[in-house]
Amino acid sequence: MIFKLAWRNITTRPLSSGLSIILLSSSIMVIVLSILTMKQMDSKFKENANKIDLVVGAKGSRLQSVLCNVFHIDYPNGNIQLKDVNFLSKHPFVKNAVPISLGDSYKKHRIIGTNPSFIKQIYNASISKGNIFSKPLEVVIGANVAAKLKLVIGDSFNGSHGIEESIHDHDDFLYHIVGVLNPTGDIIDQLIVTSLESVWQVHPHDYKKGSFDLKTVEEHEHHSHDHVSENYKDNKEITAVLVNYSSPRAKFSIPGIVNQKNSLMGAEPAIEIKQLLDLIEPAVNILYVLSLFIFGLSLFSIVVTLLNSMKDRKYEISMMRVGGASVRLIFISIVLEGFFIGLIGSVSGLLLGHSIMGIMARFLNFKYNYQFSGLVFDKLELVLLLLTILIGMIAAIFPAITAYRLDISKTLKNKI
Amino acid sequence: MIRTNNLTVKYGDVHIKFPNINLDYGGQLLIIGKSGSGKTSLLNILGGLMPPETGNVLVNDLDFFSLSRNKRDNFRGQQIGFVFQTPHFIKSLSVNDNLRFSQYMSSKVNQSKIDMLLKKVDILKLKNSKIQNLSEGEKQRISIIRALVNQPSIVFADEPTSALDDDSCFNVVDLLTNLSQENNTTLVIVTHDKRLKDKFSNQINLNDF
Repeated sequence: MIFKLAWRNITTRPLSSGLSIILLSSSIMVIVLSILTMKQMDSKFKENANKIDLVVGAKGSRLQSVLCNVFHIDYPNGNIQLKDVNFLSKHPFVKNAVPISLGDSYKKHRIIGTNPSFIKQIYNASISKGNIFSKPLEVVIGANVAAKLKLVIGDSFNGSHGIEESIHDHDDFLYHIVGVLNPTGDIIDQLIVTSLESVWQVHPHDYKKGSFDLKTVEEHEHHSHDHVSENYKDNKEITAVLVNYSSPRAKFSIPGIVNQKNSLMGAEPAIEIKQLLDLIEPAVNILYVLSLFIFGLSLFSIVVTLLNSMKDRKYEISMMRVGGASVRLIFISIVLEGFFIGLIGSVSGLLLGHSIMGIMARFLNFKYNYQFSGLVFDKLELVLLLLTILIGMIAAIFPAITAYRLDISKTLKNKI
Repeated sequence: MIRTNNLTVKYGDVHIKFPNINLDYGGQLLIIGKSGSGKTSLLNILGGLMPPETGNVLVNDLDFFSLSRNKRDNFRGQQIGFVFQTPHFIKSLSVNDNLRFSQYMSSKVNQSKIDMLLKKVDILKLKNSKIQNLSEGEKQRISIIRALVNQPSIVFADEPTSALDDDSCFNVVDLLTNLSQENNTTLVIVTHDKRLKDKFSNQINLNDF
């Protein structure tokens, strides 16, 4: 009965209760969004960064090298000579040294020229259907690529030159799909993997230039695909080598050796990503502060709403007292109203936050090559829910005290 | 059943002294007085809503004001019903829920009692209406039902008829007296409404006192 009373007292004043609820739920929404984005960025970035100990690429920006070669977001710094990095695979502290070569994409999914270790050693992925690539121009596609583009084994496609926006299609080279990978939740789900030879075959004349794809359309038109350079096989170029250490001591020796070489630069994903996240954090903190501000505003509005309705309800509260309701009962019923407003506000805020995250995820998946989702939950949300309900009840205590202090004989005399 | 001894109240410098009241179970009493004679104060004291300056009230030989606030509220809910000049209800609840809430407050929920009383005053069809859709006469009849819904030992009515026309006035008084008699409930009406003068044999006139 008392629950019904508190509930009805909210629903009979839809505008003012609505305002409190909207304010509350929008602040919760912003908080949830920040938590979820930060959490997913953090875990996805760190997960992927931890798969690779060192990226060896051309000199330039370390962050760019990591973003490009580990996360497949940015453009390559340039190319390196395969013969310059041969020493890595022979080093006793190195477990894996996997060369990769970038340059082409298909419908925004990057085509990675590499060897089978990329799939097995680095990402621990397995083939769900078909086989690994064995001849040039054979490709294995990630689970999301297959699902999104509806590709199956036996399909073939023209790769586009360029990583993001296609400069032109390689009409004369057709990639054949020979395998599909199991989903891993890692970046490899979004990639098309082929042999190094495929990339060299498609880009024979690019071996000396800095990179396979940093040219403008005009530059690109100056050369054609007709002639195949004779000496490219001796000067094979790649974009980077992904290195896994076999010993913790490698951390103190390998980067030093790499960076001493004029043409090479080593970048550690874990360090670069930590720096990147440290850069983003203050921006997210501003969001938190902003949402706390709205949160405070909504609490204030709960107090004002309830106080106003106390004025309206002065007589009926007196009547309830006359009818035998103890002050405690009335106190509880008003605190219950705060409870309901807190409950509705926080639950709707959480739902809103997750739905917006779900919508944003589609956009983010595209931009960051990651599977963001609205269906990720955090312990903090539960804390937020309980805290909001508690604070809603605390906000109701002040109006409840005014009802507690109401002098019924005076109120009834002033009638009425 | 209800007895008072030397009750007085104080308004600023004015002291008002009330006559002693002695009423048995099922008795009916009309207290008449013009405005300012302190009749509402007397009723508030009798109902335990306001303490007197001196004197005491015994309901069933129990000194009302010796009880704690919570116990007094509880006792009032169990034993006393009120009818006011302007009936107030919980606006957010329906007629039926208002009556149920009254029962709930004295932990005596009994839907058949509500239906029986609503039927008796011929407004069962308004059971699920909102309070603001009722006429004044209907509201007053429902407030009488509310006063009686917990089967109290006493009903206090404060100017129950002053806002009503002659027809409704006698309707409401008949309803009050009949329902009280049926329930063996003691009835005390406080009013300045002279129309009620001939309806009650047991009267106290505060103007004479």
